[in-house]
Amino acid sequence: MQCNEFDALLTDALDGVLTGTALDRFQVHAGSCKVCGPLLAEAEAGRNWLKGLTEVEPPANLVANILASTTGVDTQRLRAPARAAQPQISWLDRVQASLSGFFQPIWITVRQPRFAMSFGMAFFALSVGLTVAGVKPADLRQISLRPAAIRHTYYNTQARVVRYFDNARAVYELQAALRGIKRNMAPAEPGRRQAQPEKPKDDKNDTTQQPEQKQERNYSQTEDQLILASAPLGPSVDDLPVVSVTTYRRFV
Amino acid sequence: MEDVQVVAMLVRRCIAGDAAAWEEIVQTYNRRIYNICYRFAGTSDDAEDLTQEVFIKMYRTLQSYDHTKGAFVTWVTTITRNLLVDHFRKTKQDRMTDSMDTAASDHEDAQPLSEQIQDQSAPPDARVRSREVGETVHAALARLSPELREAVILRDLQDMDYKEIANVLKVPEGTVKSRINRGRAELARLLQRTYRQVM
Repeated sequence: MQCNEFDALLTDALDGVLTGTALDRFQVHAGSCKVCGPLLAEAEAGRNWLKGLTEVEPPANLVANILASTTGVDTQRLRAPARAAQPQISWLDRVQASLSGFFQPIWITVRQPRFAMSFGMAFFALSVGLTVAGVKPADLRQISLRPAAIRHTYYNTQARVVRYFDNARAVYELQAALRGIKRNMAPAEPGRRQAQPEKPKDDKNDTTQQPEQKQERNYSQTEDQLILASAPLGPSVDDLPVVSVTTYRRFV
Repeated sequence: MEDVQVVAMLVRRCIAGDAAAWEEIVQTYNRRIYNICYRFAGTSDDAEDLTQEVFIKMYRTLQSYDHTKGAFVTWVTTITRNLLVDHFRKTKQDRMTDSMDTAASDHEDAQPLSEQIQDQSAPPDARVRSREVGETVHAALARLSPELREAVILRDLQDMDYKEIANVLKVPEGTVKSRINRGRAELARLLQRTYRQVM
């Protein structure tokens, strides 16, 4: 028997289907050939090792995953055992868990003594401010937040504001009329208005490059005085003594 | 192994859109396909992904199955084998850089092969020992070349006959037998070498 023939019969021999003279020749070659003898032993050992391997269990959700990825149907029946094993969590617990995850760091920070004192003082100041302003929590409870009530409050407030400005305008017109009547009735003081000095202009916007009015004040006053002196309401220039003119200038 | 007419009817119902028939196919073959993938790929994560890929491909190409050309299980195994070969080619570079001491399975708790064998005499429980031996063999199986590995997996783990394996691998029966012999012998040599290192 040649080695290639031995190799072809090796599987049959290991499977136990080799019989008769073929089996005898096979065994003779295995005993005499230095290559094929060890090959038979190794192949038999390898087969025995492999036969010792047991089947592995597929993952529990494999079938469900396959069905979901092929038909797109998430088979509830197949997933039911896996879900039953998990504890039931209510939506309230889930909300609390998510909120606690968000507020927990803030709460830890707030609980520090320095921050707690600051927040306490802020709350005290706020409550005192609201009390002084006349805001009471009981009043807030009586506020109606219905859309009709909010609309009604809005129109009332608007009418009150319009009425206030209308009244203010009437008062101002009345005051202006009275001031005009008073001005016409009262005798005019000679040279009083004209003698008043002009208010200094705002120098910020003065781009004329002209000398300041203040520098010419004495000259203008002198000119005004001359004009006032010739006004028809006052006494004539001849009647006024020189001293009285000097006195006038002193009062200005 | 399977009633050809029953399977053919099941396939026809699937093609007609019967979800229950498809579920039956998945329930029947998922274990077998998962085991082939696990033994070939080496890790349970890869095996799970590959099993899903196999079924997705089956679902898309179910119309191409012809029961007159061969058994359904051969057709399924051929699809599985082709996907495994593609997967092997994609990850070939990674495998080439692997060393013998690298853990090949996630069932091995990331221990090197030599350490697993060193510990095998330690646990007194025979079941634990048997499991560890199985993991050692699994790790050694992953070291075989893909041609030898797929041949011994189909023969010794899936109990397919030589003709079916030849159909799946698309090689002559003689080549199949030769690969099985060399695969078994190589596996034995790897395990002997490993045990000798430990001793």
